[in-house]
Amino acid sequence: MNEPRVGVYVCNCGTNIAKMVDCDGVAEFASSLPGVVVARSYKYMCSNPGQEMIVQDIEQHDLERVVVAACSPRMHEATFRRALETAGLNPYLIEMANIREQCSWVHSDPVGATDKAKALVHAAVNRVIRHEPLERMSVDMCPNTLVIGGGIAGMTAALELADAGKRVYLVERLAKLGGNVARVDLTAPYLDSARDIITFLVTRVTEHDNIEVMTESTVEGLDGFVGNFKAAINCKGDPGVEVDVGSVVVCTGYKEFDAARITHYGYGKLPNVITSFELEHMLREGRIETKEGKAPQYVAIVHCVGSRSEEYHSYCSRVCCMTALKYAHEIKSALPGSYVSDVYVDMHAFGKGCEDFYRRSSEVKTLFLMYGRGEHPVIRKAAAGDDCDMLIEVNEKLSGETVEIPADLVVLMVGMEPRDDVHDVAHLVSISTDKDGWFIESHPKLDPVATTTDGIYIAGACQAPKDIPDTVAQARAAAARILAKVARGKLVIDAVYAEVDEDRCSGCRVCNELCPYVAIEYDEEKRRSHVISALCKACGACVAACPSGAIKARHFTDEQIFAEIEGVLE
Amino acid sequence: MTFEPRIVGFLCNWCSYTGADLAGTSRINYQPNVRIIRVMCSARIDPTFVMKALAEGADGVLVCGCHPGDCHYTEGNYKAMRRYPLLKRLLSDYGIEEERFRLEWVSASEGKRFADIVDDMTERLRELGPSRVKAALATDAAER
Repeated sequence: MNEPRVGVYVCNCGTNIAKMVDCDGVAEFASSLPGVVVARSYKYMCSNPGQEMIVQDIEQHDLERVVVAACSPRMHEATFRRALETAGLNPYLIEMANIREQCSWVHSDPVGATDKAKALVHAAVNRVIRHEPLERMSVDMCPNTLVIGGGIAGMTAALELADAGKRVYLVERLAKLGGNVARVDLTAPYLDSARDIITFLVTRVTEHDNIEVMTESTVEGLDGFVGNFKAAINCKGDPGVEVDVGSVVVCTGYKEFDAARITHYGYGKLPNVITSFELEHMLREGRIETKEGKAPQYVAIVHCVGSRSEEYHSYCSRVCCMTALKYAHEIKSALPGSYVSDVYVDMHAFGKGCEDFYRRSSEVKTLFLMYGRGEHPVIRKAAAGDDCDMLIEVNEKLSGETVEIPADLVVLMVGMEPRDDVHDVAHLVSISTDKDGWFIESHPKLDPVATTTDGIYIAGACQAPKDIPDTVAQARAAAARILAKVARGKLVIDAVYAEVDEDRCSGCRVCNELCPYVAIEYDEEKRRSHVISALCKACGACVAACPSGAIKARHFTDEQIFAEIEGVLE
Repeated sequence: MTFEPRIVGFLCNWCSYTGADLAGTSRINYQPNVRIIRVMCSARIDPTFVMKALAEGADGVLVCGCHPGDCHYTEGNYKAMRRYPLLKRLLSDYGIEEERFRLEWVSASEGKRFADIVDDMTERLRELGPSRVKAALATDAAER
């Protein structure tokens, strides 16, 4: 075989790789490998000069293959593929060796890490020599979008798309749009009405010609791929509604933590211990009262119920601190003679306008008591002679003293948690959830609204707890991502799929049943199986199962993987 | 000098490879003995990949896929799950110790789990010692 000419580039990633891996040593090692005509170590391969270096070398050294040893291919494979295209090489003639996420960042022994990096580079060189130029397919991008969830995120994304003239199917499982924000009275920190926000959105959404609102509906199935999905919707009991969409935005929101799971606050036992959403309900009704129908004189607000705890959720629910301050304002203005105490762990006032809001709350004479993380205030029924319903004992951290405060109403700031159906939704649209159950974004910083499945986007609190401004920003961002794709009209899809060598296929049809996408059809006349490339998602299950070795996984061929195995072990 | 085993890890692209990347972004330290080969799905892992790795001198082979029910391709990991005991039995018939071949589920959020699995497998293989497969194959070839 006439070995192709390979260029190897070892990225230092500043010091991210170089501090643990001897990058110059790896490049020197690479230069000794068969086929390698140039091997370099460079500070930042993804930078413009780094990419230009590859482009120039391809031209000057007639390179036919490129290996970049750097970060994960999930991070920069697309970048380097573009560099190859710039130089006129087929973008599939590059292989990345992951020596950052899977090497320098996880090892503490420079010798072991450098040996491993060499092995990974060796494997990549072995593999890339066997790469074949692949042609990508161009398919039409359907301009319609399916939005799952009719809360503030879903409605915002739908409007952004519909205003751009695109058709949107907005599916909401309940009878009314609005989601959790529709249960809220005022919003922090500017005290504007949630009702106004929701009414405005619901009116616009329902009146919009481009939005088809489907309430009391659920998405039952989603087939196809980016640009060409077919969604099956159960619309008000009619299970047969099918729509064609190019993109999906998942905006399924959150549910509140069940306060009854924590027994020590007496929720469900002490009648005047209520949750934040129960207080919202009172505020919306314009009547704050105890179970006995009296206006409370002492109201205590307890933070971090179910959040930031070892036992329940380790994360911060982000909105509760400011919501608690909002309650202090609302209660003080509704019941001017009342005393509000705020029992917190840490006050998280990170958003725009929030620190000022915290200061103003201190000025309206809210009593702030700080308790320690891992501890909890103790609530008990007051004695008959006391002028209050309950007493709360707090080990106050700032004073170092144990204090007891009176309360007629205790409000538990329940955190956010993933909805019970997250795994069903994740499965439906082929995305993942993190350890807590929130949907995982494509990249936490660089790509926070896309997911690892092309064409599926996430917005709002289904991704992680967030407030209204962040939710709206994310919803509009998701819409913008979709519009950018729709504007191009055509979509280039990955050239990685399976294909059957008809000369080797025995027509046994083992693969037909295995394919989860029904992408393999059997030609009765030829007695051969055939892969419909547009439907194939490249899992390779059929490839491994074919008894004749007749199916090839493009870009993941047996030959390429064998070469990699030899490379890592040489 | 202590024996350092070489482990070939076949990881599915969607859950386990992403989980291994997360171990990196979270800076979770683990033993450098594993060399990862990315495949799109654990169902792509042909038993010959495992045999090939052992024949080429791997002291252990680790296969990781999405947790059952979480497969990006709906059910690919079930195929891997069904192949595993068959292959395991075949390897044991060849006299290959069972610690040398392992199937684990690692989700995209389980960087720590991936690191723990690698450390545990490395430790077990250190105790077990080097694989004799490659040497045995060489002797066999010489005798023929």
